[in-house]
Amino acid sequence: MGLATNAEQLVEMAVIGYVSQPTVRGYIPHASGEATILPGMSGMIYNARVGDEAFGWAADHLEPGASIAHPDLDADYAMHYLTCMGNQAFVMSGLAKGTEGIVTGEHARLLVDFPPEAAELIGVGDAVQIRAKGQGLQLVDYPHITLKKCSPRLIDSLPIEALDERRIRVPVTMELPIRIMGSGAELNPDFVDQDLMSGDRALMAELGIDQMRLGDLVVVNHADHRFGRGYKPGAVTIGLCIHGDSIMTGHGPGILTLMTCAEPCIEWVIDPKANIANYLNIRKES
Amino acid sequence: MSAKNNAQQVVSVSVQGLVTPPRMPPLPAMPYSLAADGTPFLLPAYGSIVYNVSIGDSAFGWLADCVHPGVSVMLSEATGNRGLNVLSCVGNTAIVMTGNAQRARGMVTGKTGRFSEHVIIHFDADAREEMAIGDKIVIKAKGVGLKFDDHPDIMLKGCSPELVDALEATTNAAGKLSVPVVASVPPHLLGAGAGLVSDGGSIHIQTADSAAVKEAGLDQLRLGDVVALTDYDSSWNHGYLRDAVGIGVVAQGDSPRAGYGPGITLIMTSASGDIEPMVSPGVNLKDLML
Repeated sequence: MGLATNAEQLVEMAVIGYVSQPTVRGYIPHASGEATILPGMSGMIYNARVGDEAFGWAADHLEPGASIAHPDLDADYAMHYLTCMGNQAFVMSGLAKGTEGIVTGEHARLLVDFPPEAAELIGVGDAVQIRAKGQGLQLVDYPHITLKKCSPRLIDSLPIEALDERRIRVPVTMELPIRIMGSGAELNPDFVDQDLMSGDRALMAELGIDQMRLGDLVVVNHADHRFGRGYKPGAVTIGLCIHGDSIMTGHGPGILTLMTCAEPCIEWVIDPKANIANYLNIRKES
Repeated sequence: MSAKNNAQQVVSVSVQGLVTPPRMPPLPAMPYSLAADGTPFLLPAYGSIVYNVSIGDSAFGWLADCVHPGVSVMLSEATGNRGLNVLSCVGNTAIVMTGNAQRARGMVTGKTGRFSEHVIIHFDADAREEMAIGDKIVIKAKGVGLKFDDHPDIMLKGCSPELVDALEATTNAAGKLSVPVVASVPPHLLGAGAGLVSDGGSIHIQTADSAAVKEAGLDQLRLGDVVALTDYDSSWNHGYLRDAVGIGVVAQGDSPRAGYGPGITLIMTSASGDIEPMVSPGVNLKDLML
């Protein structure tokens, strides 16, 4: 059982989106300048799920599972802001109607994991309804720690330790240095993610960042994500790896903010199994 | 004299923009932005004619969010605006084509990125008094394609041949291009703009932690100052890379927002570290070019 929350006060509300066609940026330059066309964004990805590697795919910004969007911009924004990680999703039309999935990321589109046998039956345009719940969630004994896009289900699944009246401890697979946090600094921290910058390939290997998996919990020390994504000594941010690596300069695996505190009150412990696929039993078959 | 380059081969082409109004988000959104500590604020932001802020003035202390000194232009049509933003180079001449300030001449001092995408132009105070939002401004764009003969690893972006000459960047004993700057920005203080386009746009110094800004010697920056970006490769977008070096111009003022602060317009970059920034006081567009 996790820490006390105000989950019983939260409203659970339906939002809906539709499985999208893949998008392609056209040529993207590698850091070396060599131009490439790669898949990755949007669509239904059959062979990459949370728990798989974030690096090494012949893809750019690989989005695991089904990517869903709403054609009405206001409705799409509502889906983005209200949906939380770990929310339940249901296919509402097409051959996979009735299948239950789980929200595992928020990027240009919402990312939903479905079991592989159901994924085969999901078509572009199929409706996916999410039971959005989590905006407003707080750790009632730690009001100085801000939660973002955490569903009660996700928070309850994480082995968070209460250390004392001010501090908690969270398992993560690795620590990311603040100087490599890149694209997404220009956005508000309640919208999508911030890419780590993987362009220094030698550094990725030195620090073991290239071992990251989709769904990993990670920590960024000195990052304050309460009202923006910025540098603040002593602040701590816990993030979730939601999409795969990128060849684009200033980009890389996407780190979505789950928890942030302006003071050093979130401690961490390195645990190679700190992945939401494990905590939420997303890949029961494996 | 600066290091030899191919300025003779670079084409000078007309691009045009309109003096842009300041913009606010539509109702029912609140007009407030959030400071890094969460405090809502309502202040002038980017765009328009700014009468009392110019290059040479402090980048800090204004009650504004990323203020653009002088006059900002753009086009509402996206591809046309892209041409304007990418082809315009710092140091290019701008000419007012319509309105009461017709024929007044100014100089491009910067470009801005995602959410604004303006070109910023210095006009003297008298010309600004006469100008109106919507006035047409032509820029004699020149600089895209510029390269140094002996420094193939350095990419010039948004940099006019005139600015290259004014900087007197020369090859030093180690074979690197020595470029005068007022300060170097460490990578952990670079925020918004990472991962975004480097042929136009901006990358911002993040200033929420004032002690870190002071420690890096950045608290006295002026608009128009030339600065170095440490361990940042801006060859194709801006991003972290050890030993890479960029050179840029401080084009926009400070911001209360997290991840933001003075905006830098890139003028050159070397992924292999072929640029050696040489810190010296007073390297500012106002003194170099006006």
